[in-house]
Amino acid sequence: MSKVVFSPARINIIAKNTFLEAVRQKFFGFLVIIALGIILSSQVFRDFNFGAPELKFIADFGFGAIVLFGSVLAIVATAQLFFSEIENKTAITILAKPIFRSEFIFGKFLGVSLLLLVFTGMMTVILSVLLFWRETAIMEGVDPEAFEAGRMVAYGDIFLYGIVQWLKFSILCGITMVVASFSNTNLYSVILSFVILLICHLQYLARDAWAQMEFLPVQLAVFMLSAVFPNFQLFNIGDQIALGESIPFELGARIIGYALIYIIVFNLLAVFSFRKREI
Amino acid sequence: MTSAISIEDLTKDFPLGFGHLKLRAVEDLSLEIADNQVFGLLGPNGSGKSTTIKVILGLLAPTRGTCGIFGTPSAEVSSRRDVGFLPEAPYFYRYLTGFELVRFFGRICQVEKSKLNDRVHEVIEWVGLKEAAHRRVGTYSKGMLQRIGLAQALVHDPRLVILDEPTAGVDPVGSAEISSLILKLKEQGKTIILCSHLLGQVEDICDRIAILNRGKLILEGELRDLVSKKDLRSVVVQDYREEYNDELAGWLQARESRLVSVEQPQYSLDRVFLEHVGRSELAREKLSERAEVAKQQDTASGKDNEEKKKSS
Repeated sequence: MSKVVFSPARINIIAKNTFLEAVRQKFFGFLVIIALGIILSSQVFRDFNFGAPELKFIADFGFGAIVLFGSVLAIVATAQLFFSEIENKTAITILAKPIFRSEFIFGKFLGVSLLLLVFTGMMTVILSVLLFWRETAIMEGVDPEAFEAGRMVAYGDIFLYGIVQWLKFSILCGITMVVASFSNTNLYSVILSFVILLICHLQYLARDAWAQMEFLPVQLAVFMLSAVFPNFQLFNIGDQIALGESIPFELGARIIGYALIYIIVFNLLAVFSFRKREI
Repeated sequence: MTSAISIEDLTKDFPLGFGHLKLRAVEDLSLEIADNQVFGLLGPNGSGKSTTIKVILGLLAPTRGTCGIFGTPSAEVSSRRDVGFLPEAPYFYRYLTGFELVRFFGRICQVEKSKLNDRVHEVIEWVGLKEAAHRRVGTYSKGMLQRIGLAQALVHDPRLVILDEPTAGVDPVGSAEISSLILKLKEQGKTIILCSHLLGQVEDICDRIAILNRGKLILEGELRDLVSKKDLRSVVVQDYREEYNDELAGWLQARESRLVSVEQPQYSLDRVFLEHVGRSELAREKLSERAEVAKQQDTASGKDNEEKKKSS
């Protein structure tokens, strides 16, 4: 009997199917509508002082909506799409075929990651269009002199922000995949993943504490904590963009590299944990 | 010749979560399933049938013992290259059409791209779902789900087909159609493992059976050997008259045989139902195929009843 080899084609098939399943879920549509509503409603609260605060407000509001709903989508969609396969026993039918469990996990991850890319892309485009529209209106009507140096909003950076957030959501998807690979219920996976999300946002505190600690075992423990959980504060470049500061290329590249390392590590951990799971 | 499935001293325990307590689902099971036969794996609920199937498919790791498919250990992904599996109460992606679903599994099994669409059409037609191929799976009836499940199990033309309760919840006509498909698979040279609680169906189509109870193998062998009454024969006679009885009994006695009973053969309810409700050509084909076999079986069962009456 000929050997079955690891196949990116099978990963692609699982990923496409996962994406198709995800976009058909009501939850995705619901989140998209809510997030869009929040971004679009930002101009209801606009401030007319020289235009700049209004644009900053819209950007902040939009970034906040992307981060909040993207994080919720990353955790809930990953857990739901994973457990629907287990609970509906479709995983049994798939894994009874000549397919590696790693291909299944990578396919699921890529499917959800594609969903997150679509979500983040949509939100980023809508936010940019809204900012462009308001900026144009302000340039033409309110105070043309304030824009002598050109447009204030760096649209390229907004798209960089979108990419960075998508990578963060993909890390979160990887984390949820690790949790789901060993947990028995959807709810447990969702709750634990949200707790880890919180830890990742507060992880910088442990990093700071580690630098100041003198007792070696505690220092090591805190170091481990800060190494295991990614530092999500690194991805928080929205403030800089909203303040009109451009993002240096090196910083963007470093964040992307950092995210890719964690994505790979969490995917490998999920594969390792799922390899022995009894279905 | 390599067996289709070879199981040796298989034991499977499930931890119960309380200290070291474990539930033993399968205990010291050894089975050799030869190629090109219909093998019935029987047993009451919780007897370890599904666990055994999952171990065969590499979905569960055995606690002890070994299991191989065509000589390849079940733990290896390669062992599943030639296996088609229809799970119990199959649930498929509801948003895909029947065609898309079978195509999806065909691609997972790496059916050649140039042949994939033709193969998908072929198996869908073969299971009798041609008209519903482009309908969403979510709109399928239970019987149609079983048939599309069979199509996905066969799309890569496997040598071994494992069917876990393929007729659960299916009406007698659908059940007869599935039985007919299983027999056709055997004609194509495939090995079929059938788990079913419908013992009548198992009796009709299986060559060998194994009965599990509480995780242990309690009986295994050729079906014909296990169910036939070796010291009895039945003769079906056209236009028989009751007054022949004494003469026939005397004639038999002279040859050291004994007339046990004379009974009118009866059709089984299953057959009557199929004859009257038979919705498809396939079912009618199945009926004519089974007519002779059914007559023989009915005569034998009639005699059996007579024997019981006498002994009581």
